[in-house]
Amino acid sequence: MIALLGLIIGVAAGLIIEPEVPDSMEPYLPIAVVAALDASFGALRAYLDDIFDDKVFVVSFLSNVIIAALIVYLGDKLGVGAQLSTGVVVVLGIRIFSNVAAIRRHIFHA
Amino acid sequence: MIARPPFDKRSQADRRTTSSWELLEQVSATSLDEDYGRVAARRGAQGKGSRRRPKLLAAIALLALGVLIAVTTLQTRSASPVDAQERSSLVSQIHDREADISRLANRNDRLQTDVGTLQSSAEQLGGKGDTLLDALNQARLLTGAIPATGPGLRIVADDEANGQAGSGGTILDVDLQVMVNGLWQAGAEAISINGNRLGSLSAIRTAGRAITVNYNSLIPPYVVTAIGDPDTLEAAFAETPGGQAWFDLETNYGIQFDMDTVDQVTLPAVPSERLDTQYAQRPSEKP
Repeated sequence: MIALLGLIIGVAAGLIIEPEVPDSMEPYLPIAVVAALDASFGALRAYLDDIFDDKVFVVSFLSNVIIAALIVYLGDKLGVGAQLSTGVVVVLGIRIFSNVAAIRRHIFHA
Repeated sequence: MIARPPFDKRSQADRRTTSSWELLEQVSATSLDEDYGRVAARRGAQGKGSRRRPKLLAAIALLALGVLIAVTTLQTRSASPVDAQERSSLVSQIHDREADISRLANRNDRLQTDVGTLQSSAEQLGGKGDTLLDALNQARLLTGAIPATGPGLRIVADDEANGQAGSGGTILDVDLQVMVNGLWQAGAEAISINGNRLGSLSAIRTAGRAITVNYNSLIPPYVVTAIGDPDTLEAAFAETPGGQAWFDLETNYGIQFDMDTVDQVTLPAVPSERLDTQYAQRPSEKP
């Protein structure tokens, strides 16, 4: 419950405060969001599997976001930023889909 | 190991079909972080039971996720109007430039037509200018404003060899007037006496003891040069009253008189002071 509250407050705060994002950070925001979503869905699945752990979630969340942004940053420096972004989004997307499928199985027992 | 590969019912042969399949399956199989399972197993081994309630840390992480989502959404939304604005401004710039192009093309056509018109009128004016210049040069030649050159006749006349002043053997202004008159009659087109070109204002008259032309005193012998048809000028002059009078002078008074046809002779221009008019004016109507 407290986690859902955190998510809602975060969205509200972001919409209200509208923090200025430095231009150099801007290209990595969407990738960071996808990586964070992946970590969050993984956490939800772990929660339903009864194996959730706060520390593991936070560590995986941070490492997901940072590594995804780093990969894209490196790709930009090497001139293959667009391709690497696509690769990262594909991998994270597959993970999100399979996690959501597991969550669905839990909820509907199917 | 609690994490379960979702596709574990597949046979080994199927799994080995392609490496890309393996990659995809591996991604799917490890979609849940193994750490969850590991930590839970350790916890179970220590008998603490699974700690399944999310706490503050998780809430903070999700709060970060919420902020990220909100910021990214705002960023994307605020960027798109800028893009649209740029696109529409570019489109309007293109339209402006196209209008410029058609306007300039029209202007180009107009200017080309102008150039054609001006060129043809310049050609007409050029022809007219040449005609006028020809007419002017002809007039200057006739009035003696410019030197004249051509074939003609040279007459050398002198007083009687050892005659005395006052006797019949001296050439008078009248004699020269008669000769010039005869030359004009014979078809001469330009005449000079001792290098003094006869213009329309030139008088041949006696001033004191000498004959003057264009206010220049002449010293005998008198050399009269006329430009005209070299084949007929001499014979025609001989038939005029002027020519007859001079043959008379030669016969009866011993005056020396020689005529020679010349192929090429140049007569000087009339002095400019003998080309001025003070009262004679062109009639106001244009020629």
